Amino acid sequence: MKAVGARLPRYDGVEHVTGRTTFVDDVRVPGTLWVKALRSPVHRADITGLDTSAAESMPGVHAIVSWKDVPLLEYGHLAALGIPADEPLLAKDDVRYKGQPIAVVAAEDEATAQAAVEAIKLDLNEQPALLDVRKAFDSDAPVIHQWGNWYNHFEAEMDRRQIRKGDIDWAFEHADTIVQGVYRPAAIEHVPLETQVCQVVPEANGRLTIYSCTQALYFSMGVVAAHLQLPLNRLKFVGGTVGGGFGGKVDTATETMCSLLALKSGRPVKWRWTREEEFLCSSTRAPWHMEIADAVTKDGWILGRKMLTLHDSGAYARFSPYGLTKHSFHHTGAYTIPNLAFDGYAVFTNRVPTTAMRGFGVTSISFATETHMSRVADVLGLDPYEVRLKNANRIGDTSPNRVVYTDPSTVPTIQAIAEAMGHELPADYRTMTRHTREGELLPEHLVAQVGNPEDH
Amino acid sequence: MNLAVNGTAHELESGPLTSLLDVLREELGITSPKAGCEQGGCGACTVLVDGEPRRSCLLPVGAVGEAEITTVEGLGTPENLAAVQQAFTHHYAAQCGFCTSGLMMAAHAYVAHGGTADQDAIAEALGGHVCRCTGYVKIIAAVAAVARGDSFDLATTAASPGMTNIGGVR
Amino acid sequence: MASAPEMVFPTSPADAAAAFGDGSGVTVVAGGTIVMPEISYGRLEPAKAIMLTQAGLAGVTRDGTTVTVGAATPIAELVDLPAPLGPCAANIADREIRGQATLGGNVCAGAGHDAPRGDLQGALLAVGATARSAGAGGERSEPLDDFLANRGGRLLLDVSFEEPAAGGFAALDRPHTHDYTAMAVSAARAADGTVRVAATGAGTHGQRLLSAEVKADDLAAAGDAALADVTPHDDALASAWYRSKTLPVLVRRALTQLKETS
Repeated sequence: MKAVGARLPRYDGVEHVTGRTTFVDDVRVPGTLWVKALRSPVHRADITGLDTSAAESMPGVHAIVSWKDVPLLEYGHLAALGIPADEPLLAKDDVRYKGQPIAVVAAEDEATAQAAVEAIKLDLNEQPALLDVRKAFDSDAPVIHQWGNWYNHFEAEMDRRQIRKGDIDWAFEHADTIVQGVYRPAAIEHVPLETQVCQVVPEANGRLTIYSCTQALYFSMGVVAAHLQLPLNRLKFVGGTVGGGFGGKVDTATETMCSLLALKSGRPVKWRWTREEEFLCSSTRAPWHMEIADAVTKDGWILGRKMLTLHDSGAYARFSPYGLTKHSFHHTGAYTIPNLAFDGYAVFTNRVPTTAMRGFGVTSISFATETHMSRVADVLGLDPYEVRLKNANRIGDTSPNRVVYTDPSTVPTIQAIAEAMGHELPADYRTMTRHTREGELLPEHLVAQVGNPEDH
Repeated sequence: MNLAVNGTAHELESGPLTSLLDVLREELGITSPKAGCEQGGCGACTVLVDGEPRRSCLLPVGAVGEAEITTVEGLGTPENLAAVQQAFTHHYAAQCGFCTSGLMMAAHAYVAHGGTADQDAIAEALGGHVCRCTGYVKIIAAVAAVARGDSFDLATTAASPGMTNIGGVR
Repeated sequence: MASAPEMVFPTSPADAAAAFGDGSGVTVVAGGTIVMPEISYGRLEPAKAIMLTQAGLAGVTRDGTTVTVGAATPIAELVDLPAPLGPCAANIADREIRGQATLGGNVCAGAGHDAPRGDLQGALLAVGATARSAGAGGERSEPLDDFLANRGGRLLLDVSFEEPAAGGFAALDRPHTHDYTAMAVSAARAADGTVRVAATGAGTHGQRLLSAEVKADDLAAAGDAALADVTPHDDALASAWYRSKTLPVLVRRALTQLKETS
């Protein structure tokens, strides 16, 4: 294994520095048409009229595609994970977020495509929007999704991710103090330097060559095949060269819309989003609302945690139930808490649907847990390093969903941080290890949660 | 209208208010400068105009006149890489590569005009450029290496700057 | 699609003024950094564009203690001028954009979509600049305050001012060079001891802070007094509340710099 441990140059490094890396927008196909989209100008409305005739008859306009042109309008991208379809590729009866695509146009040049978009007659009946996850549960909240205001297709048709472990009531009865906190990280836009872009070429043999910036080539192939109701062997995806994705280039919609335009016009088409579209209409990391209440003892043990998470899914489900699931498994962070009551909801709002971004579902809980651990230390008047080390995951401890830890590195990591920060730990904390709890590190309340590492 | 790019004169069809970026990419097929924002906010489109780094998305081609435009294609080839191209390769200063063209042109001009290896000076000169992948540390290390006049072994990459090994697990 | 614009490339200030006429139906392109994104995003389709690159309107000249800066002077040529103009210019955008953007484009920028524009207005007001412009009725020179209030249909030719004896500049930090400055304060003490204080980002365009000027010797009082002169607004960069909290701080900092310059 000569490569392991060696510092190898990137295989595409020389291409990058000589400007020869071919990103999707660098692909040149003669006769390519420009694409522009008609997008919802409001957060929520019923569509009462859509008339593309004036736009279609404009010189230089080759094709306009709306919901009627889509063989399978709604396809659940994560149907394999049990998430049903809920989102039309192009809006049909209503629009549920500002920027939602309603129709796409392919024309000879950018200006003509934009003029054609502006010539489409769109009639909307605006409706009250739901923009705050906390209000979704009010009895007088507008109902903005066919399933209600939060996802309800978890296993056994549960309407939330629920984790119960141990005896939460015991924990709260035996606590010396309850420490509460509310954590609300905001949405984060990926801002890849390369905006969303796609080029589709209809080949003479009936196949479509799709140059895509997707992060997930085979995944996107499946999505396009499903919406278009085409066998996979009709699609040739060319990709893997992505100008930054970070999770934001898995939503796979431009490929499908451009494919429909290429089929309808018989011409190659290209759609490159502007930076404004990227900021206003592309999916973001979700905003979260997390409430934590920890039952703690005065010497720094966390006996139990109650937690409520509202994950802002935006207008449609997309991958949110999956992100929320991962979030729930990690809701104690790097620490062992034996008694748990977690409830998490994927809540719909009239915002751009949220998506994956580095550490999908888990960065939120890392932020909340770490901040909360410091809060616990602060309330108890204890050292924040010591509170963490005491409660840190160790071999044999179990996660919220009962996975047995075989290789947790919390203890050595915190000790390394203390050393790097010049923070002196007392001897007994300096010599702590990550090995199975025993003695003072295994109080009564932690015994039942210990598992056998062999069983993991 | 004529335009001199990388030593070659071109007769243009594009109108004078077309951005230099669009002229280079769409009319001349010179695709190293990238359309990251078309607002001057990211630096992915930077090229040299008579040796000075400028945002090609902000420059109407009609304002270029006789100035000589240099893009990455004019810096060096795979067989004959310019110093800044070698540095970016050896120091792993490019990940996705989308910001790389603009950054290298700015870095090349910085060093050509006497820029030093001082990290703050490099950060100030290149401050208009956005990179979402690398965190900038290796980019600055690469530019400093060029300013120092380092030579580069392209068969390997440099050790990460400023990082110490975290102690082993106990 | 709009037909190709009429392009004019004047080769002298007089040519530029003649081409500009009364300004109707004309788009002035100096550096182009403000105009080009509008064109790229389809928000502006000029019918007639005047390109000022060859019009002889660039350059910083001195006649005794009077400094004159041509409207087409790149902002990069101003960064080494004394405060407040130098630091104000150095705080605009980044090196590449400063090499292309001009004093005229900055001074004549209208209110931005979601952020203040025209930082140089504040520094120039503080040094008591005079604006020379062309337009209907011919050429005229007037205090910059008056020009800013009535600049429709005017082509800025140059600004001139007396070199200040001392200057100060304080601004809210920008997270990145592609951000505009949410608010800044410039102060200058003229050779005769007169102090002028001006702000950008506290209103629709740069403005003098007259209430702060009369209290310039008492830093705390001057800072608080400045609030009487402004109506701060909410925008993408900062709220009106934040601006009202930080304006007195910026005033105190700018005036402190004046005091520290002998």
